[in-house]
Parts: sequence; C-alpha cells; structure tokens
Amino acid sequence: MSLLELKNVSKIYGSLHALDHVSLKVEKGEWLAIMGPSGSGKSTMMNIIGALDKATEGEILLDGVDIAKKNAKALTDIRRDKIGLIFQQFHLVSYLTAVENVMLAQYYHSVPDEKEALEALDRVGLADRAHHYPSQLSGGEQQRVCVARALINYPEIILADEPTGNLDEANEEIVVELFRKLHMDGTTLVVVTHNPEVAEVAQRTIVLRNGRVDHETINENFTGKIKHITLQ
Amino acid sequence: MFVRMIAKAFLRQWKKMLMIAFTIALGASLATAMLSVMMDVEDKMNQELKAYGANITVVPKSASVISDLYDVGDENVSGTYLQEDELGKIKTIFWAFNIVDYTPFISTEVTLDSGDVEQVTGTWFNHHMDLPTGETLDAGIASLRSWWTITEGDWLDEQGSHSGDYAMVGTLLAQKEQISVGDKIHVTGSETEKELEVVGIFDAGGDEDELIYVPVDTAQELGGLDGKIDSIEVSALTTPDNELAQKAARDPSSLSVSQYETWYCTAYVSSICYQIEEVITDSVASAVRQVADSEGQILNKTKLLMILITILSMIGAALGICNLVTASVMERSQEIGLMKAIGAHNPAITGLVLTEVMCTAVIGGVAGFYAGIGFAQIIGHSVFDASISIRPMVVPVVGVLVALVTLIGSIPAIRMLLNLRPTEVLHGR
Amino acid sequence: MKKRKMYIRMITASLLRRRSRMIIALLAISIGAMILSGLVTIYYDVPRQMGAQFRSYGANMILVSEGDAITQQQVDETRQQIPADKLVGIAAYRYQTVRINDRPVMAAAADMEQVRKTSPFWLVDGEWPANEGEIMVGKNLAEIYNLKVGKRTTCTFAPESETEAENGETEEVVPDNWIDFTVTGILDTGGKEEDYAYMLLSDMEKLTGIPTEYDVCELSVSGSSQELSAIADRIADNVEGIQARLVKRVTESEDTVLSKLQSLVLLVTVVVLALTMICVATTMTAVVAERRKEIGLRKALGASNGSIIAEFMGEGVVLGAFGGLLGSLLGFLFAQAVSRNVFNSSITLMPWLVPVTILASVLVTGIACLIPIRSATQVDPALVLKGE
Repeated sequence: MSLLELKNVSKIYGSLHALDHVSLKVEKGEWLAIMGPSGSGKSTMMNIIGALDKATEGEILLDGVDIAKKNAKALTDIRRDKIGLIFQQFHLVSYLTAVENVMLAQYYHSVPDEKEALEALDRVGLADRAHHYPSQLSGGEQQRVCVARALINYPEIILADEPTGNLDEANEEIVVELFRKLHMDGTTLVVVTHNPEVAEVAQRTIVLRNGRVDHETINENFTGKIKHITLQ
Repeated sequence: MFVRMIAKAFLRQWKKMLMIAFTIALGASLATAMLSVMMDVEDKMNQELKAYGANITVVPKSASVISDLYDVGDENVSGTYLQEDELGKIKTIFWAFNIVDYTPFISTEVTLDSGDVEQVTGTWFNHHMDLPTGETLDAGIASLRSWWTITEGDWLDEQGSHSGDYAMVGTLLAQKEQISVGDKIHVTGSETEKELEVVGIFDAGGDEDELIYVPVDTAQELGGLDGKIDSIEVSALTTPDNELAQKAARDPSSLSVSQYETWYCTAYVSSICYQIEEVITDSVASAVRQVADSEGQILNKTKLLMILITILSMIGAALGICNLVTASVMERSQEIGLMKAIGAHNPAITGLVLTEVMCTAVIGGVAGFYAGIGFAQIIGHSVFDASISIRPMVVPVVGVLVALVTLIGSIPAIRMLLNLRPTEVLHGR
Repeated sequence: MKKRKMYIRMITASLLRRRSRMIIALLAISIGAMILSGLVTIYYDVPRQMGAQFRSYGANMILVSEGDAITQQQVDETRQQIPADKLVGIAAYRYQTVRINDRPVMAAAADMEQVRKTSPFWLVDGEWPANEGEIMVGKNLAEIYNLKVGKRTTCTFAPESETEAENGETEEVVPDNWIDFTVTGILDTGGKEEDYAYMLLSDMEKLTGIPTEYDVCELSVSGSSQELSAIADRIADNVEGIQARLVKRVTESEDTVLSKLQSLVLLVTVVVLALTMICVATTMTAVVAERRKEIGLRKALGASNGSIIAEFMGEGVVLGAFGGLLGSLLGFLFAQAVSRNVFNSSITLMPWLVPVTILASVLVTGIACLIPIRSATQVDPALVLKGE
C-alpha cells in the first residue's frame, strides 16, 4: 500500500481549476519532486497533501486514511502527527531562538525536549547556532532550522515547498544534502520546486501543467547528489 | 502614481484603515464631548446653583443705611421705596440675559381677627413678563425659593386661578393661627381690609415660616403703598470673582478705563449690581455673599475638576491614537522595505505613509466630532436636562489635536521605517 | 510539566523580545487602566470633596434652646455628638443691644475662629477681632457712624433693661459699663450681618457683666441632608434642652446641586471609560492582528485552535495584569494630583480599586485579543502563510 495516494483530486477556486482530477501515488521512503511553471498548481497540491487546505473533490489517502473529508480539527492533528513542513519563506517565529523554534513543533506534538531539539539542530549542522534568533541567522541557516523543525517529530512524510527558493547555491547544496541524508534514513520526501537541479536529485519527478500531471520522469541513475548545470 | 498608491492602500487595507479611522474617531469624539461639556459646565452648574436662591438684593438707598435691626416695624417712618414700574428695567441692563429670575417684595403689617399683628409680604409667585426683546420670563418665588416644601395645598398660581386675594401661609403661623388650606382669613391693613383665601402652606425652614405671602397688588392695597416695593431679589448667572472684580466691588471709580470696560462687560456679580443700580432709581444692589461667593467657589472647583478630567481623557485619547498609528504603521515594515529596495527615498515613503494616515485621520476626526457632539448631548440631557451648547472653539481645538496627535503618533513609526534596512525586512526578518 | 515550562518560556520570550510592540500594548492598557482607576477614584471622592466646598454656604444647622439660652456645656455636648471629620465649625453667638454714640446697636459676640469656619463667605475689610478691645462692624453700621478701620469707638451698655434706662431717672443712678474699642475690620456679607457689631466673648462679658450664655448656635456639618437630619435627631435626643434645626435653604439646595455634580462625573466617567476601553481594544487588536502569520505557522505545525488561543491569551492576560497594575498606580497619582489642585486635600486610597482595575484590564485585553486570534485561527493556514 502506498503511503500517500491522490485519487481524482480537484481544487476549484471560483472558475479556476487549480487542480484538475489529479491522481498520484507516493510510496513509503520515496523521494518525489513536483515541478511545473508558476500557476500550474504546485502550491495547491502541496497545501492539499500537507493537510493545510481541503480539496474540492477527490480522495486523499494518507497511510490508508482518507483525509479529504476530515474537518479542520482532524486536519490539524494529521499535520501535527504525520507531516513535517518546510517553506520557501522559512516561517520561523522571530522572537524564539533556533532551538526554541524546533521545540515549538515538539510542544504541539507531544512534549518539548531541549536535548532532542539540540540533537536535531546538530544533525543539520547548527549545534553552535542553537541559541541565535532567526534574524541573526543566514537564509541557509534559517532553512536548516526549518528542516530540523520538520524532522523533529519523525513525521511520515516531509513536505518542502520551494525549500531552496530563497537560497544561494552553496546553501542549496547543504539543504539538498540534508534531504539525501533524510532519504537514506528512510524518510518520505515530497519537494515542490521549479529548480531543475533540485528536482533532478529526486528519484522521481512529476511535472504539473494547468492543474494536471503533464508527465513523469524516473531518475535512472539516482544518487541523491546534486549535479550542477553550468550555464554557458 | 502617488494618488493611485494611496487609493490602493485604502482599497486593499480598508479593514485596517477603518480601524485606525475608528480609533481616531473615538479619540476625537472623546475630545469633542469632553471639551464641549467642560466649556459649558460653568453655565450649566450656574443654573443648578440657582437652587440657592437670589444672589443679589436691591434695596432703596436710604433703607440700606437704616438698619433693620432697629426692628421699628413701621414701614412708613423710613418712607423710602423702590418703584414697581421700574422692575422691568432690570431685564434691560447689559447683562440682562444673565438675569434668570427676580422678584420684588413689599411688606406691610396687618391685624388678624385673633388680634395678632402679622406681617404680610407681597411678592411675585410666577409672574409672567413679556420683555421688550420679545422673550418671555416667568419670575417669582416659586423658583427663587426652590427649597420651600409645600406641606398643604399648592403654590399660588398668579397667572391662572389665583389672581386676586389669595395667600400662602408659613407653617409656624398656620399652626399658631390654626389656618388650613381653603380657609378665608380676614386681615385688616393700615388702609383696607381684605378676605384672603389660603391656597398653600409652606415649610421654608427659616424665619419665613411666620409670614403670609400675597400677590404684590394685594399687599400694596392693604398697606396703601401703591406702586411701591421694599426690595428686589435678583438671581443672576455670574462669573466667579477675581481680583479685578473685588477691586471694582469696593469702588468702581478706582479702575482705569480699560479695566472698567473689562469689568463692566464681564458678568461679575459686582458689575451686575452696578448695572442694576444704574437702572433702578435710588437703589443699592448688593451681592448676597453667602450665595455669590460660594457659587463662585463651587463653579471654579467644578470647572477645574472638569478641565483636569478633560485633560486626562485627552491624554488617553491622544496616546491611544498614537499607539494604534504606531502599531499599524510598523506592521507594514515589509511593504516599506520593498519600496526602499526598489529605490524609494525616505521623503517619498514618509509622504506616502503620512498622507495615508492623515486621510484616515480626517475621516475619523469628522466622524468622531459628530459622535462627540452626540455624547455631549447625552451627558447634557441626562444630567442637566438641557442641551450642551457646542462652542465654535471646539472645532479648531479638536482639529488641531487630532492632526497633531496623529502626526506625533506617526513619528516613532516613521523613524523606525526609515531606519529599516530593506534586506533585513525582505529576508524573513 | 515540561509542557507548561515551554508555555511560560514562549510567553516570556514573546513579551520580552518583541519589546517595541509589547511596550505599545502595555502603554495602551496602562492608559486605559489609569483612566479607569483615576476617574473611579475621583467619582467616589467628589461628594466628599465637593461637600467640603459646599460648606462655604455656611451654617446648615442651627441649635435653638428649649429654654432661654444655650450654655457652653450644651455646645460642648453637641460637639461630641458629631463625628469630628464631619464637623466643619460650630459657632455660638450671643446678641446684646449696646449703644454706640448713644444709639442702640446690636452687638454679637462669638468665638471668631469658629465664625470664620461657619461663615467662610464673610468678606472682612481689615482684620477679624483677635484681641480684647477690638471690634468688627458691619458695613451699614460703619457707614452710619462713619467708622473706618483703625478708628476708635466706645460701646456702652446700661446694665438695667432698656425701658428703664430710657426713663431717664435710673440713668444717673447706675453708671453705664463702657469699653473703648478699636475697629479692626468692616464686614461685608450682603445680609443683615452688615448691621451688627462683632466682638470677643470676653469683651461682651466685661461690657454687660453677665456671664456667657448664647442665644443661637450655628453649625456647619458636611453630609447629605439625610445624614444631617440623623445628626440633628441625635443631638435632640442626647443633649438636654437643645433642638437642632436644619437650614433647609442650604441643605436641600446642596443635595440638588451635589447630586447633579455627581451624576455629571458619573456620566463623564462612563463615556470616557467606554471610549478608552474601545481604544485599548483596537490597539490590542492591531497588535495581535500583526501576528496572523505566526498564528498560521503555529497552525501549520499542528497547533490546535485551543492551544493557540491559550498562548496568545496568556500573553494578553500577563500584559493586562501588568498594565492594570501600572495603570492603577498612575490613576491614583492622577486622582491625587486632581485632588491637590482642585480641592487642596489628598485623596483617600481605595485598595479594592487595584484588583478591580487589574481585572478590568485583563478582561478588556482578553476580549480585544480574542477577536483577531479567532479570526486568524478560522482562516486556512495555507492562506495566512502565503501572506496577504
């Protein structure tokens, strides 16, 4: 059984079909990239998978449970227990330190544990920046805090919405390397991006166009390592 | 483009702008209401203080010298009176508008059937006057003796059913002579004798409880004192005394011309007295210190109290507005950061933010001003049963206040915005 | 246990590290609380303070003897019947007809210190008599006898009754008592007092040779007319031979005016408070509305609406409590300043007002925060996070 399965999912805003009968399966431990031009429905799909938004129609099975018909409260619980989110704009609480931001996720999930949170920061290589505020961290460091926050509760699936959109190449590499490690540990990853370099690293890439799955490519020689395209 | 940006800001953030406008409206209404009430409170309390009765007494010149402590009793001996036909002139003086009530008194002695000699006082009860200005005035002791309680019967109604030989009797006398309402008492004066029908018995809690009160004509006929009156009690709205008024009260001729002008044209009790003396022949008008002084004191205190409360609420309103403006401008740091990033200069940003805030302030201020008038009227009607008159002064004061406060409120926020580094703002703060 | 620690850590972090915003919020709440506690204190203190001002209308109670005269003992007993803080003054007068320039004049003697208290409206040109041999004359009297401050005049008193004295025969036999007085002041009241001469009790005793007994006693007591009639009844019950009467003109009018004044302050307080509280609420709303994104983030991380409300309300309550405390302090200082400036007396502290103010500010802050928090939690986190 797939970890995540979308069956004929549509999202309609007024007359705009942001998602138009999309079906998709994500297996446990898979690393999937979602690509597509702006307005193709990437973010909508991400929000629906992430239980942040509700589909207009269709079924979304997460771990065999249909979350499409759940109410807001149940969706909150699903987000808390099964999903780790990473955003393009990081979204860190400005008045909390890095470690506190990580603990925030623990707090809502179960019990905050500073030691565990510090370990998570160590995994993303930020042990020495744990007590800095987001404003004192670089973009890459902030995004690594977000990664630490996303993985702290051992979610079934980690969703990243343009995780490298605000980062330079060096930081991009660091974040992708973190994803590779997560993948090695068996974490399911769904990365929404329009950066081909980031998409290429994944095992499988689907490309959305006008709310539909346009095509799908499997990365034959998957290594999880980023290959830079040098621009002429 | 500037206009377009501002219009857009209003359209897009209408909720936020509405809230700022609402808060400014609250502050403005508070300021308007409090200022209006404060400026009118003196007049209104002055009216209320009329409950203490007359604050000026007018007596004939010689009578003021001959003391009533002789208790000579025989009025004819002194032989000085004021003229009844001059009474109307009191409402023609410079401060006529401030004279809220007045009533003449004429006393004469009568002999009752029991053989007791009692004093009969002629006065107005609710005398109706048509003034040359076209106004009308109901004057008399019905309002000047507000503390009297009518223990039996009713007030003598001069205008209606009781014109003629009717009387009101004090409780003590009524007890002594066994008089009750409806009785006809036969009195013999020095000139004529009359049958007086008693319409009311009153308790004044003082010397007046031993007197008989009748309309002026009746008393004059009894004593043969046609057209004569003993004294006038005047109730006037006055301005509390200050040094100038005290100096003038001692001797108006000691003032310089300009001081005299100021004094004459201010409603000091002494200047009103002086003006009454000018119109009533051979009269001496003097302030009843017990009433006039205390009135001044209470008015001053009330006014000061209201001023301080007004200041407090204005500070509150000002800080409230400042605060909200600061809070809501700070909220837009991201937008401003972006503007700076795309090359907006500081003056341009300041201009934009200020124009937005000022537009909101104008809308809020106007709405608040009218709401404030409403609040002032609510206060006026429920406390004083009268409208608070809105002074034109309030408009500029509130206007300047709102503008100033909004500007000052924007300063910390604008300073903060100007110090923003666009990179910090745009990169996730 | 751990969870609560994190809760406290988050709230303190939010309060301490978002300093500029929190100062704005705290300021707003303190202003509201200050106005609340200041105005309520003034409202409660106005009748007391204004009541004292109304005593400038002079005596509102008069003692009359059931016998011929009032004795000093009766006056002292009466004084004991009235609470010391209510009694403004008690002045007993003794009247006697004396002669100045061979013409009868009503002379009054009293304790001048008390007269000043019961008749604060008397305007004296010159000085009040303080020593023996000093006399204060009414304005009219001064005019008739052409008396000026500093002039000397002689009062005589015939020990025999007036009628006999006027017969002319006894005049020779009993020599008149006389005292040479210095006029220290001219009295202006606009009333009948202007016809009297005022001297010290000891001079009166010397002049008449009769030990002090009073004809009438004036009291100035602060209180509503109900309180006053209760005091009058108590005096009548406990002091033998004395009846206390209220001066209706003063007591009734004071009730009317004072009740107007109090309802004025009440209404003003209500209006100002209502507007200020709304003002505080909008500021709090603005401060919280700014954090929509943060609320969205917390929701995205899986926070339930309940826990978000609990966190933000926790902040609100802490702010409200601190603001309330600060405000009640400022409010008391303000009321004190008003009282000092307007009434020249200090205000009584009302300890119960502090918790009430804190409670009110916590409530207002709570309600004000609840509205934007609820609206932020209603919205899908995806929308909030996207911005706009």
